[in-house]
Amino acid sequence: MTEFSAQVYQNEFLADGATDVHAIVTVTCTGAGQAGHTGAGEAAEIVIVDTSGSMGPVGIRAAQLAAAAALDQVLDGTWFAVIAGSHVARLAYPAPAGELGMARMDASTRAAARAAIGTFVPEGGTAMGTWLELATAVFASVPSAAQRHAILLTDGNNQHETPAELTRRIAAASGRFQCDCRGVGADWQVGEVRRIATALMGTVDLIPTPDEMAAEFETIMRASMGRGVASADLRVWAPQGAQVLFVRQVAPAVEDLSGRRREINALTGAYPTGSWGDESRDFHVAVRVSAARGVGQEQLAARVQLAVGDEVLAQGLVKAKWSDDNELTARINPEVAHYTGQTELAEAIQEGLAAKAVGDTATATAKLGRAVQLASETGNEEATSKLRKVVDIDEPGTGKVRLRKAVDRLDEMALDTASTKTTRVRK
Amino acid sequence: MGAAMSGAVVSSLPVCGSCGAVAAIGARFCEACGTDLPTPAGGQGATPPGEILAAPVPDPAGPVPVPVPEPVPCRECGGVVDADGYCTSCGAKAPRARDHVVEQPQAWVGAVSDRGIRHHRNEDALAVAASEAPGSHAVLVVCDGVSSSEDSDVASLAAARAALDTLAGPRAQGLDTSAGLVAVIGARLEAAADAASRAVAAATSHDHGDSPPSCTFVATVVERGRIVTGSVGDSRAYWLPDAGQARFLTTDDSWAAEQIAVGVPRDQAESGPQAHAITRWLGVDAPDHTPRITTMEVDGPGWLVVCSDGLWNYCSPADELGALVRRIAATVAGEPLATASALVDWANGQGGHDNITVVLARLGADPDSPLPRDQTGSSR
Repeated sequence: MTEFSAQVYQNEFLADGATDVHAIVTVTCTGAGQAGHTGAGEAAEIVIVDTSGSMGPVGIRAAQLAAAAALDQVLDGTWFAVIAGSHVARLAYPAPAGELGMARMDASTRAAARAAIGTFVPEGGTAMGTWLELATAVFASVPSAAQRHAILLTDGNNQHETPAELTRRIAAASGRFQCDCRGVGADWQVGEVRRIATALMGTVDLIPTPDEMAAEFETIMRASMGRGVASADLRVWAPQGAQVLFVRQVAPAVEDLSGRRREINALTGAYPTGSWGDESRDFHVAVRVSAARGVGQEQLAARVQLAVGDEVLAQGLVKAKWSDDNELTARINPEVAHYTGQTELAEAIQEGLAAKAVGDTATATAKLGRAVQLASETGNEEATSKLRKVVDIDEPGTGKVRLRKAVDRLDEMALDTASTKTTRVRK
Repeated sequence: MGAAMSGAVVSSLPVCGSCGAVAAIGARFCEACGTDLPTPAGGQGATPPGEILAAPVPDPAGPVPVPVPEPVPCRECGGVVDADGYCTSCGAKAPRARDHVVEQPQAWVGAVSDRGIRHHRNEDALAVAASEAPGSHAVLVVCDGVSSSEDSDVASLAAARAALDTLAGPRAQGLDTSAGLVAVIGARLEAAADAASRAVAAATSHDHGDSPPSCTFVATVVERGRIVTGSVGDSRAYWLPDAGQARFLTTDDSWAAEQIAVGVPRDQAESGPQAHAITRWLGVDAPDHTPRITTMEVDGPGWLVVCSDGLWNYCSPADELGALVRRIAATVAGEPLATASALVDWANGQGGHDNITVVLARLGADPDSPLPRDQTGSSR
């Protein structure tokens, strides 16, 4: 039996005249069950493998092992397909050329898919938008599959379509399936792949060497099979006249959901959060109420709900109480402070690396220095150790750093991809 | 036998139909969510409230009728109020029953407790009972939850009701000497403070923090022309005769009172930064809760006032409060409940910085004409 719960962390006390209310809402799912087995519709998986020429014989061999490892994790009965991607996309399994379709996983289809994967040869260029376009069409061929997930592997720049074409194809795929994206080696663009992952509600990460691919794919697919809730929305109600400043997922990774808003009614917006397994996610909701009430007055600033379809399964109340007691109003909620810092950390790392890439040393030093400071303040040791490979830290407290002369590009990419991963508040 | 008592409530274990929380015995609304609770159809007998509070388990006798909450429109925008207690349109918090409590067990007694303006909840509580014949018998209890402690609103209500249950037992009949009667009532007030203290302890969670629930205690028993009062903390009782000297029936257990005792002027002591620091209270961390007992004989018509500091903060001296009550009573034809209500409005008009509780009893008047003798006849 799937259950959701919501817990609100905030300082509900506002100083006289204040209107902005911040809260962290922790949503926890238990009893999610397995993908496609909870009566919420069937599950479908597509493995998309880069087969461009740059993969080379070693890369292709590793990608074949990884794809097979992923398929081993797909539960029997699940719909699946395999796409080989280069400057064009090709459905490698199950349908013969020119037809669209998916197969149900069982021992014989798994073996047939392995055989199809075994024929991959590295050739051609890269146009990831076409891969997404084909995946969208393949998923659409099985309307009964409510839970749609893909793994996308790439190794290089998206050279064979224009950025505008990629943007258009990402937009067309958005909302049709979720996609976890992985880049292998040092020749792909984190920003480009992050764009796909963000739009398709998936994760982005770096696989430094080909031999690590199989383990990573296995992990991703196992996690996907453990998500028995096909799709859930975070709903935010705010009072008449109020403004929802932002809705962000802040743990396990920072993801701004504000742009995903779909209106439920004039006061309530739904923010898709994709599929859920047994897990906890934290959301930062900020609301500006239309006017401050008098001291001693209280109102609701937001109802934050978790909804599956039209059913609201959990609700947290974000309150505003105006007080003239400075001790109450000056207190900053530790969860809000922590995640505000972690969000700023992610921005500082990404902006610092972008500045460094275009040779703007001053901005890069300032941003990465700020990142060092924030990582230290919020106790994010993983970020600190990754930052250390890109900058020499003189004073972590003040953020005084120097850019390192020779930086391994993989270290820089690891810092970039990990920037949005947050640590939780120590309780 | 005297006239039937009203106001003493004995009930089965109420469970909130809205949120499922177990309420205190006799609770009219849910402390957790504020939903009105159904009036119990039949009592289970006088189980001590402390035991009920200590054992929050569903009533094994059967399901408690679930009230269907009446959809009350939002007071501010007319929108629909959600089950969570807030408007679905403007988000305004719907008033809870506890925010403004009105009781009138008999025509000669009026009691009002109000959240005030600056506080977010009402931590004051009152419990009153009276016999029909004016001035014959009444029990008036006020407890003020200490706002720096946790759940003090729950504690104060439990304390006030436990005290009333103790004091509203069989009346001391047939005692032919005044001194004997007073001694019996005095002993009962001590037992009431004990019961109130136990109720606070029962409302205290085992893992309470540094500030366990606590409250003040003032209880006054009116019995055939005598007023016996017991208090712990800084909630007060006053006797305000229509003619003659107004007087305190209680002495505050407070830092300010200690200052006054050593000669600091009242207005100065009661406006200092520690003016509201109390030296005695009810609570698991209280060193002592033996009430100070005072006794007086009613020698003429006047007002008995039992109140929390939400009122007396704005009018502390007895003679000034006497003048205020007479002035306000005159505007409402001396009706006790209207007078108590008008006094609460007046305190809110002064800023309403604290919860305000006012309990009034009209004493010593001709039963046929319970109005003050100097009332000028205005019937506005």
